Amino acid sequence: MMSLIFIIKIVPFSRIIIFVLYLHGVLRNMNYDALDFYEVDSLLSDEERMVRDMVRDWVDKEVIPNIENACREGVFPDEWRVALGEMGVLGAPLKGYGCPGLSYTAYGVICRELERGDSGLRSFASVQGSLAMYPIWDFGSEEQKNHYLPKMASGEWVGCFGLTEPDYGSNPGDMITKAEEDGDHYVLNGAKMWITNGTIADLAVVWAKLNGVIRGFIVERNDPGFSAPEMKGKHSLKASVTSELVFQDCKIPKNRLLPGVKGLRGPFSCLNNARFGISWGAVGAAQACFSSAKDYAMSRIQFDHPIASYQLVQNKLSWMLREITKAQLLAYHLGQKKDIGDWIPEHISLAKMNNVDIALEIARVARDIHGANGILDEYPVMRHMANLESVKTYEGTHDIHNLILGRHITGIQAFTREI
Amino acid sequence: MNIAVLLKQVPDTTAKITVSDGKVDVEKVSKWSMSPYDEYALESGLQMKEATGGIVVAIACGPDRNKKMLTDSAAVGADTLIHIPLDGISDSVQIQNILAAVIKMNDIEVVLCGKQSADTNSGSTGPGIAEILNAACVTMVSEVSFVENKFISVRPSIAGSEKVSTNGISVFTFDKGISELRRPNVRGIMMAKKKVIETIKLEDLGIVESDSGRIILHSQNPPTEKEPGQIFEGVSEIPTIIAKLRNEANVI
Repeated sequence: MMSLIFIIKIVPFSRIIIFVLYLHGVLRNMNYDALDFYEVDSLLSDEERMVRDMVRDWVDKEVIPNIENACREGVFPDEWRVALGEMGVLGAPLKGYGCPGLSYTAYGVICRELERGDSGLRSFASVQGSLAMYPIWDFGSEEQKNHYLPKMASGEWVGCFGLTEPDYGSNPGDMITKAEEDGDHYVLNGAKMWITNGTIADLAVVWAKLNGVIRGFIVERNDPGFSAPEMKGKHSLKASVTSELVFQDCKIPKNRLLPGVKGLRGPFSCLNNARFGISWGAVGAAQACFSSAKDYAMSRIQFDHPIASYQLVQNKLSWMLREITKAQLLAYHLGQKKDIGDWIPEHISLAKMNNVDIALEIARVARDIHGANGILDEYPVMRHMANLESVKTYEGTHDIHNLILGRHITGIQAFTREI
Repeated sequence: MNIAVLLKQVPDTTAKITVSDGKVDVEKVSKWSMSPYDEYALESGLQMKEATGGIVVAIACGPDRNKKMLTDSAAVGADTLIHIPLDGISDSVQIQNILAAVIKMNDIEVVLCGKQSADTNSGSTGPGIAEILNAACVTMVSEVSFVENKFISVRPSIAGSEKVSTNGISVFTFDKGISELRRPNVRGIMMAKKKVIETIKLEDLGIVESDSGRIILHSQNPPTEKEPGQIFEGVSEIPTIIAKLRNEANVI
């Protein structure tokens, strides 16, 4: 192909006519290069690698070109729900009932590739798989599993998870949403807040106190007394639906109770699964920010040289490489332990806490490297930065996971004033 | 119906290519992918299988890394996977002989492949195989279907597009098709994991590697460095610019 550059200035119009560059990979079109310095991905099985490529390819083609618009408009595109269902990645580690039956490592890889696109996208999949499908799979009756799981795996029915309340976040045990028996029904009263997918959900797995004991209930979209208004005005996870769940004498048939679990063990089991996915997801967000920062630093010229040639910038990039590599190894080894069944919740707390924390710092430093350009949605960094603020708080805040580890080390709980 | 799809693994179109000692550094290629035109052929084969029943036989000739590409083709629906191990660069005639021999072994009714591969771009594999098999051959098609015992293909013509029908065993080489290669899904990936790749060695085909090629590759070189641009300023330069655009750039 001809590659001649003509710059023609015609005075006094000062019109600059076509500046033609034949560059294989101008910054905007560069193929995504996921940082993998210690080649941790070479440890993936063939199946895990193929799943990774399938999701990464879909994110490249369908998410990256549309995410900024979805973010501006504050919508979760329905096409993504359909595509995730078609790819068969929802409820990834669950076996049977039409579910994928993949390894936990594969589930982690899916979360990582989705979150490299956007944390809100990965949140949809986490809630659907780990928080809505998983409790039905583990604690539901056979009828409930056969009724709900296949349609949730295909994406036809969307689920959500109602645990957090306006006044009960880190302290879910003191929740005030109540269920009371009324003949062959239960009646729910109360409200949940910060519920991903709530407004678009066909069903909600709601945790409420029945005679003082926390139980799980499946509430369906059209149940009387149930509404799910969307929460507006978010600066974070804008391409995700966040809602309140309101129960005003909400009447549900008795067969909606999850028979297999009582107490906080129920919701905490779900959260462990979701947190595992998040520990991988954060790596994806960090990789996306690193990739953008590196490309930007290589091409941005200041004082006649690319800013990548300056020591302070190299220091930042090198720090990012270090943290991403550590986080990858943490996540991978955790996946291996999860797959052989040799894990405790504290293992997951460590990975979630560490990986999200460094991902947020990496996003901030990446924004800094992008300079003023970093505040535009032409680059993904500030969107990731804003998203990761939520990811740091939800599924167990950073501080709570810190105390979980502190309790594990010392045997002394430091969450409350009462010992 | 047995549908053969010929797949070639080439350096990914975004992979960086380096040349040393007049040869491409094959070892240093970071990413290998299915040649883009072959993807259209594979998608067409899968659609034909869905419409008429039958099986898709995916055939690849090349180094062992081709096996991953074959597994990927199984993940989207290829039924039989055949790999002919062959290292090093080979010429088109040798490839045609090898692939035609495998096709003959498998009772194939139609052969689909890309019009040219994204690396060597010789474009002769399809027509060459058709010659050896004494098959009909239609090149540069965008779609192929099997209707009332005939293959109907669509290709560009000076009038826009033309429909060509063939009888009997036929070879079709694909330009950009009407459908992109479908995305795999988890179910396909898990089934592909179990698929065994059949290995056929050159000896099994009665082909001796050393003397089956006729073309010797002398050297490969990167494209010449582009020349620096020329800057013109002022209205008085217009005649010079026009002359250069006409005589040098050949754009007017």
